[in-house]
This record gives sequence, C-alpha cells and structure tokens, in this order.
Amino acid sequence: MKLARAAISEVIGLFVADWVQSAVIVAILAVGWLAFRRVGGATLLLLVVLLAGQMVWFARAEARRLAARGREE
Amino acid sequence: MYQQLFIFGAAFLGSAVESTEALTIVLAVGLTRGWRAPLLGAAAALVALAVLVVFFGELIVTRVPEASLKLLVGTLLLLFGLRWLHKAVLRSAGALELHDEDRVYRQTVGVLRVAESRHDWVGFVLALKGVFLEGLEVVFIVIAVGGTGRGLPVATAGGLVAMAVVAGAGLVVRKPLARVPENALKYAVGIVLTSLGTFWAAEGMGARWPLDFVSILGLVAVYFAASRLAVGLVRRPVMA
Repeated sequence: MKLARAAISEVIGLFVADWVQSAVIVAILAVGWLAFRRVGGATLLLLVVLLAGQMVWFARAEARRLAARGREE
Repeated sequence: MYQQLFIFGAAFLGSAVESTEALTIVLAVGLTRGWRAPLLGAAAALVALAVLVVFFGELIVTRVPEASLKLLVGTLLLLFGLRWLHKAVLRSAGALELHDEDRVYRQTVGVLRVAESRHDWVGFVLALKGVFLEGLEVVFIVIAVGGTGRGLPVATAGGLVAMAVVAGAGLVVRKPLARVPENALKYAVGIVLTSLGTFWAAEGMGARWPLDFVSILGLVAVYFAASRLAVGLVRRPVMA
C-alpha cells in the first residue's frame, strides 16, 4: 500500500512540481492551440517565446522564495 | 536516421541519469546487508517496469490516433522536461544544492543501520522501491520519446543500453557513481525533452515545423539561451 501510494505520488511528481507553473504551461498550450486555428504557423514563434518566458519567470520567482526563506531561517 | 539517433540519445541520457540514482540505492543496500535481497528487489522492480513498457508502449502505439498522441505526449514531455530544466537552472545558479550521489548513499546506509536488527526484507523493499520509482522516470522517458514518430524500439534500446552501462560501471567500481556529471546531464536532458515536447505538442495541434525534425535543434538553442538567461537573473538576487 505504501509502495502504491509512493508510486502514485511519484507519477504525479514526474510532471508537477509547482501546480501553478504546470497550470500556466497547460494554459499556454491551450492558447497556442486556439491561436494556431485562427492565425496558423506564426503561432509557433509565440508558443516557444511564451514557454521559454514562463521558465525564466518561474525560476526567478522560486529563487526569490528560497532566498527569502533562507533569510528568515 | 537523424531522428532515430536523436531519440536514442535522448532515451540513453535520460535513462542513464535515473539508472545512476537507482544504482546508488542498490549499492548502499548490497554493500551494507549483502547482495541477495537487493538483487531480488531490483529484479522484481525491473520485471514490473518491463511490463509497464510493453503494456503502455503497445497501447499507445496501436490505440491512440497520432495527432492526439503527439499532443498528449508533447504536453507531458513539456511538463516533465521543464521540471528538470527548472531544477537545473536553480542548481546551476547556486539557489539549490547540487544532487550528490555520495550524500544519497550515506543517507541510505544510515537508514539501513537503524533497521539492522530487522529481517532481510528491508533490503529487498528498499531496492525494489528505489529501482521501481527511479525506473518509472526511465519508462516515461522511453515511452514518451519513442512512442511518437515510430521510435519505440530505438528508445527502448537507448534505455536498456543506458541501464546496462550504469549497472556495469557499478559492478566494476562498487561505489556510488559520484563522478557522473549528473547535474549537467539533467540540464542537457531537460533541454532536449522540453524541445521534443514543444515539437510534438505543436505537431499535435496540426502545426508543421519548418525543416521538420531539424527544427528541434533551433528549439534546443532557444531553451538553452532562455535557461542561461534564467541562471543569470537568478544568480543576481541570490548573490546579493
């Protein structure tokens, strides 16, 4: 039972470390899909820029959180 | 040919990183409590993982329509790859501690010493759990990387070769493979998986990339540049 629970949380943990970031990634893909149907191939550039941009933003946000926690301790 | 090589390389590198982590646990158990229980635990985990690869691999390749498969696998690969890349950026910038196989080994040995008076199943369960949980990542990488683009046999070969190489190295060295540049490998694999995920997710939406599979190299360049930018930005407030 413990192993099954660990396996389930491991499977979820494979894809989700931060629920907000995962939701943003899925939202970007959904927006990309809708935009692709209207605009076409130009959407690819927007999709890549948004995905790369969110990575930079979330890495910076977590570093700030970690630094703030470090200062508190 | 080029696509198959890329799939093999991605599966090999991703699987090598996870196999190194599983090996550390098996070594810690084997060198502390004897080899019978951890080897049986590792074998049981490998059988369970092989069943997962065959079952899900077959199911995915034969049952799911190609466009939906690309969108689903691309999305999952993106989530998976970006998680690795996110951690790699924070580690590279010094905001998170680097992964250290020696420390993991010492922690596992510590757990085993506490449990020394118990029966041998502790070693069995620890090895089973370690190999199975780390192996789940290998299974995902192999199926996701190979499941689209008819590359499952090549991806499976990449994963198996990586496991064999790591197990062979462990047999020879008989200590944790702390000199494997795991953090750098995870960084590289994170970029490759994120690029593959973007490529397939967009194809699943119906998009066609310029130059087809070659455009993955462009995606790798974009994500590498973005990750270096992130490392630079993260370093500044952390160092201050």
